[in-house]
Amino acid sequence: MAYDLPVLSGIKNLLIGLWVTLRHLFSHAVTLQYPTERWPMPERSRGVVVLLSNKETGDLNCTACMLCAKACPCAAIMIERHRGDDKKWKIDSFSVDNSICCYCGLCEEACNFDAIKLTPKYEFSTYDKPSLTYDMHRLQELGRDVAYTPRVRKTPAAATPAMTATTEAGGASTPMAPRTATETPTNSSEKGGSA
Amino acid sequence: MREPAAGYSEEFEVNMGPQHPSTHGVLRLLLRMDGEIIKNAEPHVGYLHRAIEKICENRTYPQCIPLLDRFEYVTSMSTEEVFCLAAERIAAIEVPERAEYLRIIMLELDRIASHLIFLGTFSLDLGAITPFLYCIRERETIMDLFEMTCGQRLTYNYIRVGGVSQDIPEQFLPLARKFVDTFQHRVDDYEALLTENPIFLARTKNVGIVNKQVCLDYGASGPVLRAAGVEWDLRRDDPYSIYDRFKFEIPTGTVGDVWDRYMVRVRELRQSNEIVRQALDQLPTGDIKAKMKPLFKPPVGEVYARIENSRGEMGCHIISDGSTKPYRLKLRGGSFCHTQLIPEVAPGIMIADLVAMFASLDVILPEVDR
Amino acid sequence: MRLELSSLLKVIGDWISSLGLPVWLVDLIEMCGAAAMVMGMAFLIILFLVWWERKLSGHFQQRLGPMRTGWHGWLQTIADGIKLFQKEDIIPKTVDRKVFYWAPVICFASSFAAFACLPWGKNLWPTDLNIGILYIFAITTFVVISLLMAGWSSNNKYALLGGMRSAAQIVSYEVPLTLSVLGVIVATQSLSMVAIVGAQEKVYNWFIFRQPLGFLIYLIAATAETNRAPFDIPEAEQELVAGFNIEYSGMKFAMFFMAEFLNLFLVSAVAVTLFLGGWHGPFLPSWLWFLLKAFFIVFVIIWFKWTYPRLRVDQLMEFCWKFLLPLAFLNLIVAGFLFR
Repeated sequence: MAYDLPVLSGIKNLLIGLWVTLRHLFSHAVTLQYPTERWPMPERSRGVVVLLSNKETGDLNCTACMLCAKACPCAAIMIERHRGDDKKWKIDSFSVDNSICCYCGLCEEACNFDAIKLTPKYEFSTYDKPSLTYDMHRLQELGRDVAYTPRVRKTPAAATPAMTATTEAGGASTPMAPRTATETPTNSSEKGGSA
Repeated sequence: MREPAAGYSEEFEVNMGPQHPSTHGVLRLLLRMDGEIIKNAEPHVGYLHRAIEKICENRTYPQCIPLLDRFEYVTSMSTEEVFCLAAERIAAIEVPERAEYLRIIMLELDRIASHLIFLGTFSLDLGAITPFLYCIRERETIMDLFEMTCGQRLTYNYIRVGGVSQDIPEQFLPLARKFVDTFQHRVDDYEALLTENPIFLARTKNVGIVNKQVCLDYGASGPVLRAAGVEWDLRRDDPYSIYDRFKFEIPTGTVGDVWDRYMVRVRELRQSNEIVRQALDQLPTGDIKAKMKPLFKPPVGEVYARIENSRGEMGCHIISDGSTKPYRLKLRGGSFCHTQLIPEVAPGIMIADLVAMFASLDVILPEVDR
Repeated sequence: MRLELSSLLKVIGDWISSLGLPVWLVDLIEMCGAAAMVMGMAFLIILFLVWWERKLSGHFQQRLGPMRTGWHGWLQTIADGIKLFQKEDIIPKTVDRKVFYWAPVICFASSFAAFACLPWGKNLWPTDLNIGILYIFAITTFVVISLLMAGWSSNNKYALLGGMRSAAQIVSYEVPLTLSVLGVIVATQSLSMVAIVGAQEKVYNWFIFRQPLGFLIYLIAATAETNRAPFDIPEAEQELVAGFNIEYSGMKFAMFFMAEFLNLFLVSAVAVTLFLGGWHGPFLPSWLWFLLKAFFIVFVIIWFKWTYPRLRVDQLMEFCWKFLLPLAFLNLIVAGFLFR
């Protein structure tokens, strides 16, 4: 090794390497001092799931059509619903288990009513796992300050009979068995214990 | 315990991994060593097996994509692409122009990101810690581009059957052009630190030689095969998507040693940069997704699609039984074949050379273990 | 009239002598005082160097380094020290206890003992041995013994491999190290550190200009002596996890750590004394010049670490014996002709 190495070109390349690191020594550091400085997240950034509400009335946009629960590849969304007096579905409970959710965004794409969205929020670390399952109220509170452009394609009243028809007909080939009345997700500590 | 006979030196077994700062993932290498020289190296894999192929049998095609992101998370875009290519071939779907161009841009940016990780971890294994940080800094820009488009930095869920999920926002093009214009100088920096450095040359030249015959015997592909002198790139030799519209070179090596594999990847960085530049120039307007039924139900059939991943040939074999879920999904990754090269090359080299050689193969364990 | 540090010390020394104590007690007090001052200096230097290496390595890599502990992280070393101090000192059952205990002590003590001979400034040396440079090279050789002790007593094949590699490396590189300074010694006709500094009063007399090859060989060999990149195979994390000090934790590990930085400063200080004119310089006090120059050489060695990959063990040895040693001999012959 020692004698067939061209010595001068070796020394020159060693010095070039030193020059590259010296240049970087005097350039501005790229570190972001979190938590005093925060990176402005892009608006499409997929963080925690929230439930969106109507800006005027404050009610949830969700019509309990269960499409998001069926679209989720991880079965992280658990919905319980019953038929109300006016034949429309009413939500009993809606919870998202953030320890299972993989933040893929398929639920947001499946929803036709701007009811569920992935927001750029990401600071949700806790010390106990059961508290990572968010119930309907928490999800609604988190979604209150989220801006969204409505893309309602059908009015809810006209859509509902057709929606239910598709879901019941497509029940045979539903991707995931959605967790509804058979499991009770409200007892989150029990779920947390089993998980 | 072996009894040392007179005149024998005793061999001892050393376990490298599964947790080890050097191996790229959870790989266990059982080394039998005689002093510094390795007599035998046996890779034990399976520590990262997550049964992805089995799980996919119970998920619809759109639901498989987030899962396949995690199959090879360093180049998620390629995994999504190969799966969507296979699904589109079964169902005979034609992807719109703009979607194809967007796919190419994302794939090549992904390739650049993956090669930057290779460069960083390779130089880290050799002891030069600084290039790792520089490569990560570059990668931040690419991940910013991905995040503003699809919302995630690593597991994108972007390339869908029939196109892509969302169009690029308006901030994408200026940032992408800026990246493409400055990237060549950055690669010059990395080369200045490493390529002609005499210490680097001493560590990598004529080390870990995998010649053409061994590569072909073991099914090696990608930069490992090209470094051995075989000019084979699926983007040119078995073209998919719209790669035939771009002009790019296929860098090859001569000997198949560590330096050749490094050089092939560095040159590929430059070529990918060129492809992204050309794609940005030629980007047309139009739809980003083909018109399809809401529920994707391909006809009965079987297809094997393959693409040129940054690690080699990545293949996806789908058997469809006509339902919304694939009957069988099989993934082929280049790293699995490359891991088998280790027992072939290891006997007779020193442990430092094994580390350099293994780093140069650019093995990603999730691709090996699935 | 400038207040010179040496005259201040002289005043204190005179006052102690005038107290009417027996001579041996006065000598003892003076020696202990000098040792305490050098020890204090050594700890301050370690404090500074650990922080400085982390900051420099951060900025070479375009990041910030420690920022939270104090202003720009200057208290980081103290935080690390407290952490190591309160860590459990785990001693595996099968180690050779006496050897295991004494290894870090010998490592630290030998690096520190060499500080006694350094000329810190004008009239500011603890002692002026007439075999100064020989003493320094001899006493730092004890580090090899301590590394072998650490590697062997740990009863661990990784530690043994690491220890033996280190020992082989240090012993090999001592030969070109010593040969490279022989040129300087031939020029000054003396082994005493003070005399060598005295021969470099004018800038054009500095030995870096009269012995450039010697300086380069010294710098490379010194980097290898302190086990730093590109010669840091014994400490390479990527190869076999930390080498000889695997089994050490807590304060014993802290002693190895401190000894490494002391060694780093020592070789830089020796480089300054032999090649860069010691404490000579205009305007600023002499000890400040010494420290500035020494930290500059430390900066160069840190710069090497964060730029270059590392050499393999056999390449390291080959480089030493087949490349540096003939060059060092060549340098000596040329020096012999120049300075006869």
